[in-house]
Amino acid sequence: MAPTAEFEAELKVFERYRREWSDAHPGEYVVIQDGVVLEGFFQEYAEAFKAGLKRFGVRRPFLVKQVWITEPVYFVA
Amino acid sequence: MVPIELPWNPFNQLDPAPCIKIVIANADETIMAGRAIGFEYPTPHEITALIDTGSPFTIVNRVHALNRMLAQTGAGTEIRTLGGKAKCGEHSGTISFPGTGLKRIETLRILSRDFEDERYYSCLIGRDVIRHWKITFDGHSKRVTITD
Repeated sequence: MAPTAEFEAELKVFERYRREWSDAHPGEYVVIQDGVVLEGFFQEYAEAFKAGLKRFGVRRPFLVKQVWITEPVYFVA
Repeated sequence: MVPIELPWNPFNQLDPAPCIKIVIANADETIMAGRAIGFEYPTPHEITALIDTGSPFTIVNRVHALNRMLAQTGAGTEIRTLGGKAKCGEHSGTISFPGTGLKRIETLRILSRDFEDERYYSCLIGRDVIRHWKITFDGHSKRVTITD
């Protein structure tokens, strides 16, 4: 399965708000499922995941995304 | 805490970095929530992980992430290696280190990608885990010591 095959709807929502969110909450995490954005931003991934789990459960995946104005490319040596 | 010691010969081409046995699984909250609605999760399975100070994240073989049913929380995260760029899945999980006494790492963002032609390990332990440890390398005895 291609890694980009999932979260298409969530990534569209993210792109719609990327600029606004990255101005106000750079580096923080946001949680999205379909068109629903979980209220609040989270400093840590674990916090965001737990909040998403509580709100959306495990039936379908939800996106946990760190907010940056451009997508980082991480160097792995 | 008793330190653990791992052998590593940096001059042996077949020994690229110290390796450690790990178990990657869903977080306890994920498993509880899943079981409550009838999901079943596979039993924990030990794999070999290479300790990689050059990786910012922990990256597991995509097949292993799928087999362990790790909760997926993202897609398309891009990494760059000497071999070029690759896109990774993102998952939430825990990592434990059986038989070592090292503390389990809870609810970590774990990337997944194909480990092509890699026979010796199925995971890279990145700096997101290493930051919890003190690691020293003794070049004379060729041993790596880890405490947390």
